[in-house]
Amino acid sequence: MSEDIVDILIVGAGASGAAFAWSMADTRMRIVCLDQGDWTNPADYPSNATNWESQSFGPYHIDPNVRGLDTDYPVNNEESDVTVVNFNGVGGSTILYGAHFPRLHPSDFRVNTLDGVADDWPLSYDTLDPYFALNDRVMGVSGLAGDPMYPPKQPPLPPLPMGLVGETVARGFNKLGWHWWPSDSAIISQPYEGRDKCLNLGPCLSGCAQGGKSSTDITYWPEAIRRGVELRTRCRVKEITLRDDGFADGVVYFDADGNECFQRAEVVVMACNGVGTPRILLNSKSENYPDGLANSSGMVGRNLMFHPCGFAQGIFEERLDSHKGPAACCILSKQFYETDLERGFVRGYNMQVTRGSGPLTTAMTGYLSGTIPWGEGHQEAFAKRFDHVASVGIICEDLPEAHNTVTLDPELTDSDGIPAPKITYRYSKNSLDMLSHGMDRAEEALRAAGASEVVRSAPLAQSGWHLLGTARMGNDPETSVVNSWGRSHDVKNLFIIDGSIFVTSGAVNPTSTIQALSLYIADNMKKNLTSLFD
Amino acid sequence: MSSIITSDHPLSVPRQKSLNALLDTLIPASSDGNMPSATDVGFELYLQTQADELLPILRKILEDIGDDFPDQTREAQQDIIRHFSATNGEVFQAVLTRVYDCYYQNDAVRRKIGVVAGPLFPQGNTLEPGDLSLLDPVIAHSDQHEYRKPD
Repeated sequence: MSEDIVDILIVGAGASGAAFAWSMADTRMRIVCLDQGDWTNPADYPSNATNWESQSFGPYHIDPNVRGLDTDYPVNNEESDVTVVNFNGVGGSTILYGAHFPRLHPSDFRVNTLDGVADDWPLSYDTLDPYFALNDRVMGVSGLAGDPMYPPKQPPLPPLPMGLVGETVARGFNKLGWHWWPSDSAIISQPYEGRDKCLNLGPCLSGCAQGGKSSTDITYWPEAIRRGVELRTRCRVKEITLRDDGFADGVVYFDADGNECFQRAEVVVMACNGVGTPRILLNSKSENYPDGLANSSGMVGRNLMFHPCGFAQGIFEERLDSHKGPAACCILSKQFYETDLERGFVRGYNMQVTRGSGPLTTAMTGYLSGTIPWGEGHQEAFAKRFDHVASVGIICEDLPEAHNTVTLDPELTDSDGIPAPKITYRYSKNSLDMLSHGMDRAEEALRAAGASEVVRSAPLAQSGWHLLGTARMGNDPETSVVNSWGRSHDVKNLFIIDGSIFVTSGAVNPTSTIQALSLYIADNMKKNLTSLFD
Repeated sequence: MSSIITSDHPLSVPRQKSLNALLDTLIPASSDGNMPSATDVGFELYLQTQADELLPILRKILEDIGDDFPDQTREAQQDIIRHFSATNGEVFQAVLTRVYDCYYQNDAVRRKIGVVAGPLFPQGNTLEPGDLSLLDPVIAHSDQHEYRKPD
């Protein structure tokens, strides 16, 4: 057992951990971050090889259970409508994410006040606004100012090309009189901070060989490390231990050789996402916390939120160059983002226009959906669809429900023997009604844009990117895990900065808001260093 | 490279003939002759690089469809494969995935369908910028699209 003690110990080097480390580096304190994964080498990403598409079905698969790297941990999804997808390593899931980068809306922080459901957040959009802007600058975000659906904001880079896909669907939205706008994207449209611009390779979800996609291994981390933060890879945290006075003492972890190690710390910061964080907290049992650390409220692992989603794919007569360009980043519509009870559900959804797939994915999904046969007719059906598609994704707000949980699996473990997370999650009627409405509207938009055929896929099971709500923030220690700046109500030198502290999910991809929150929490800690534990 | 039958092939000569017929049945050439059949894209080479995983499932399907498969009519060949896929769904999907993978990473095929041959990086793609004046109606009606105030 080492007596070496660090000032701040961050667990997890993904979206939130990287932003937090970068911000706290100002303090010149001794900061160490542990991550169970490795650095990824952009030269290894699939786009460097001829078989770039098939690699996304294997070593770069989004599902850790399929990918099965020794840096991954298994997830039991058997009792869940949604499968957890992620990446474990420096950069976390930003390595494989689509980089669609909208912020939560001002109304998302006040859903109880506005709509009488769930709870309000203990902070507001205005509180986070400067941190959203700071994060946009450091990550490198492309977008267009002036979207009336948000308070004024200025992305640092011009928008990504809409391409024929974006133009075509935009015309459909215009026919219907609906809102649309170029998406904010964490992909650089011009050279920026030593990185070259996006090359429109297409398969962002298997890593960006060009470095045009803003994953935190190439944005926050290089500067944080230059400024003194120590990042240790292949360190898998098992549990957080406590001192006699009830403060966190440090963490027990396994190194790359499987040796059990201990790292003491003055402050422990959890940044492992909405599944990884409750997993470690629940595994940190002690006499005072028999149900897991920081869990006197019973809320650790509860209120798991994904974003129920589906896709409608329109087939067009004209060629749209669908496989070119960032797959997930094009344009969006917030026409149905806010509550209208006449629709039969509360809250709303985002319409995310996405581009098409590569040829292998097109052929295989065509086979599985029965739209592109093998054998006679294959060539004709493939030619009709490949590069002739535009899709509208429906991303629904998922309201918190206590019975949707992350718990510890009694049998399944990772390669170090740490219990795996078990997901228990079912769609609510509200979510399914919302999704059904959204799929109808997606088809309506694609038909208005000229689609001759629309293929619908909903709900999508393998879609659990957004892992939210399992250690929620709030002012009441009886109903929340952390306070309004991420500090545990129970353990005053334990902080949580990832998506698990979301009170509600909004209906947009959460990374921008997760990072703004982590920068906000870091700023609060810096401003209150002398009274941090009061 | 088309339909090569060699003595050092991991499959017997009859099985090689069945493999070629299988490939041609799964992805036949296009009727206008523009797109090649799956027999014409170097599957033998692909098989060499994927032998450990691919050979067992190939042997399974080739054994099942029989050595007289090449002598059947196209219609009969399709019926035989349909029957195999109905009774051995997992193996069939694995074989089909590999055949598609080989076919759609072939440089000639990619060029014909408008995809970068070889690795995507560093060549990349050019994308139409898009006409931002399409936003004019949204901006003109921005009062109808204004964000919901939180209080």
